[in-house]
Amino acid sequence: MSKDNFIHKLDLSAILTIIGIFLLFAIAAIIILFLPYFTEKSWLQPTTPYQVQMYEVADPNFFISSISQGQIQERQMVHYLKRNYTLLAFKEDEYLKIITSPELEKFITRSGETPLKLTSELLLLRVPESNEQASQLRQRLQQEWIEKHPTAEQEGLNKPAFEILELFDPKSDIAFARSTTDGILENWVDKDFVILNEAHETYHSDPGVIYIANPMEYRISKYKMGDKEIWHYDPKGEPITSLEQLTDHPLHFVSRQELIKFGEHIYAIEGCWYCHTDQTRTLIQDVVLNGTESFPAPPSSPNEYIYQEISFPGTRRIGPDLSRVGIKRASRDWHLSHFWSPKTSSPGSIMPSFRHFFDTNPSGTGTLQRGIPNYRFEAIFQYLMTKGTRITPPTEAWWLGKDPVQTLQIIEGKRKPI
Amino acid sequence: MDKYNDMPVKLMVYPSILFMLVGMSFGVYIAFNTFVFPDYFSGEYIHFGRIRPVHVGTVTLLWLLSANIGLFFFFIPRLCGVSIWNDRLAYISIGLWWAAIFIGVYSYPWGTNFGWEYAELPNAVWYIPVKPMVTLAWGMMLVNFFMTIANRIYEKMYVSLWYAMGTLIWTSFTLFVGSYLISWVPEGISRVNTSWYYVHNLVGLIYTPMGLATAYYYLPKIANTPIYSHRLSMVGFWGLAFIYSWIGAHHMIHGPISQWLQSISIIFSMWLFIPVWTVVYNIFHTLNGNWKKYIESAPIRFLIMGNAFYLITCVQGPLMALRNVAEITSKTDWTIGHAHVSLFATFTFFAIAGIYYTVPAITKKPLWSEKLADWHFALSLWGTLPFIFSLWVGGFLQGMMWATWADGSNYAEFHNNLTKLPFIETNTEMLPWWILRGIGGVIILFSNILFAVNIFNTIMLKQSVKEPIPQAAT
Repeated sequence: MSKDNFIHKLDLSAILTIIGIFLLFAIAAIIILFLPYFTEKSWLQPTTPYQVQMYEVADPNFFISSISQGQIQERQMVHYLKRNYTLLAFKEDEYLKIITSPELEKFITRSGETPLKLTSELLLLRVPESNEQASQLRQRLQQEWIEKHPTAEQEGLNKPAFEILELFDPKSDIAFARSTTDGILENWVDKDFVILNEAHETYHSDPGVIYIANPMEYRISKYKMGDKEIWHYDPKGEPITSLEQLTDHPLHFVSRQELIKFGEHIYAIEGCWYCHTDQTRTLIQDVVLNGTESFPAPPSSPNEYIYQEISFPGTRRIGPDLSRVGIKRASRDWHLSHFWSPKTSSPGSIMPSFRHFFDTNPSGTGTLQRGIPNYRFEAIFQYLMTKGTRITPPTEAWWLGKDPVQTLQIIEGKRKPI
Repeated sequence: MDKYNDMPVKLMVYPSILFMLVGMSFGVYIAFNTFVFPDYFSGEYIHFGRIRPVHVGTVTLLWLLSANIGLFFFFIPRLCGVSIWNDRLAYISIGLWWAAIFIGVYSYPWGTNFGWEYAELPNAVWYIPVKPMVTLAWGMMLVNFFMTIANRIYEKMYVSLWYAMGTLIWTSFTLFVGSYLISWVPEGISRVNTSWYYVHNLVGLIYTPMGLATAYYYLPKIANTPIYSHRLSMVGFWGLAFIYSWIGAHHMIHGPISQWLQSISIIFSMWLFIPVWTVVYNIFHTLNGNWKKYIESAPIRFLIMGNAFYLITCVQGPLMALRNVAEITSKTDWTIGHAHVSLFATFTFFAIAGIYYTVPAITKKPLWSEKLADWHFALSLWGTLPFIFSLWVGGFLQGMMWATWADGSNYAEFHNNLTKLPFIETNTEMLPWWILRGIGGVIILFSNILFAVNIFNTIMLKQSVKEPIPQAAT
């Protein structure tokens, strides 16, 4: 190199400047950006096994029907069951009785029985094929009920219908079951349970597990109306046999995992985060704002955010904070009318209306004032419902007054924050 | 033949003035359509959430950053005594820069927002890789400026060159962190931390040194007086280099981020007083004994008033980082006011002053109307005051209203407070302040239309003078 080059032309002070800038910058960057990976476990670790199982086990195997195909029909929710993976429980209660063959008897948790029996075998419930056996059982149960309630007729009580279901082995590795949860929380058990089969998945050995209770086989019937293919849930219809059938035309189911991911994308591109923060700060006003009527919301902890590609803690609170919205506003109907017209649904609001989350109502001036929610609504709704609902399992939930970080005692001054 | 090729300056500065008007118009639009007449124009592509990043992107990238780079193309060669190192490289980089940022920013309404604050620029729009294009353009400018500095004929480096070099290095790293590194670190708070690191460096290590380089160059030039203290300016420079990259976490005070990071950011935020006060002191004292120039020249008024706002914003900033102050001001309009004081009332004022000097210098035509420039300054100032004070007062009041929820000793009382004053009512109380902010915004927009007209007429209507504008020694 000649002495003409860049370095030689710079005087010493300039070289020192450049080195100095790099050095100061590097030290700050290392401490601020990289040191936390070694010292701050909560940045990378999940809050509880429930959070992990919700995101990694429940979401990818929970499917929600798309309702934007110009059809007004109830939203359908379906569990995707896999042998040796999904945990199932068949649990009787007062009005639900299960009949089965002797070899499947051991999988049923009869009423009053503990512990709860879980299995990773793939079994399903259906309307009994032999009607005779079922109606005999029903009659017997009703007879027993009348004997137990001799004054029922005077009190105007009808004898219960008693749902009788048959447990059977579909003899396949996958199956689809109708969901009985609301799609926000899942069934969770962390005491008095037993898994009848050996553990196949790592989550089967967790101290608590998400399971699917009484899976009813999902069956549909299809018919044509004009040139439109219409389908609907029908317990007597054809069962779904493959995942493709569920996700392709005409059913168009989408997994909750995809919806949540897409919801996060919508949250980003619609700029929700310019007006809504997503953090309950360690301030009384925040835990009160996000709390329920009786209990304060726990402040946000770093590990709540680990399943989000983008996190939106936010800088400005023009609208209320959303970090606990899954509990504060869990109603889908509330969100439907609010996204359609925030100003009528919460007077004084300055939130824009999001009519593009809805498709035109094909029935024109029907009973619904608004359009039909499309996949964008479903996505943002599912995304919002993850907020505050997955910190702890439902058995330890803050909205039930369970208070792992002693929020209440701290804000009432009975305990010093750590 | 001119000694300096000023084409790159024109290519950066002229469009940037247009974009300033566009960006401010978007600002006025959202000030009214969101806050004063909420959702008067409604629709998928024009609601607040989609237009706000267009406003921010236009004024920060297409106006302020571009204008500052344009001024770099003007004064870096002049401080080095050589023309820009490679003309063609400059043109290519400028072409890439405008194309990429224009496409990127104006694609936000169609849903390309990247989702991180100040890093909304998407990786790609359709098949156009806008983010790599911006990175490439920046890299080309970096090489070009550094080669110009390397080829300089003046041995001593003036402080503006130091700040410029600092900007070039810091910006490269900051852009890398905010554009790429943020997607590589683990999901969750790690990314949030990276994001705030980026956000604060963007303001502190790009706009601040760029603005200060501009102020340190143009104030002595226009006032025709040497800088008060070269040494003081060096203290400021090193203070900036040492302190700024530590304070990102002060955006998350009380938030879900480690206490020690919050404490570090608070401590370093307080230390910011050192570089800031040296700069402020230095700039004010440069006019010592020369204060009649403040009356004579609009650009000097912009510089000095910008400096005053710089003092305000930099007193605010560190104090806002304190835990008990953040409890009230954080997440309110106060923050928005703070951002506008620094990026508008300080660095936009500095850039405007620079443009007032630069355009006559490169076109060799005197300014079309000094009187219009006076009006521009007066209206800018009188637009800025209601604009920022309404945000501060309104934000402070809203923070105080939120704090009333914490009055009491048990949860029933807290919750009762919230029932008596629901969140939405703290918003409706803001309406008068939001109207005042909108009015301030309209005045600011109007004043800058005068500015654009003045510059346009200078370029188009004035006869060029034979004698170049006399250049003061640095």
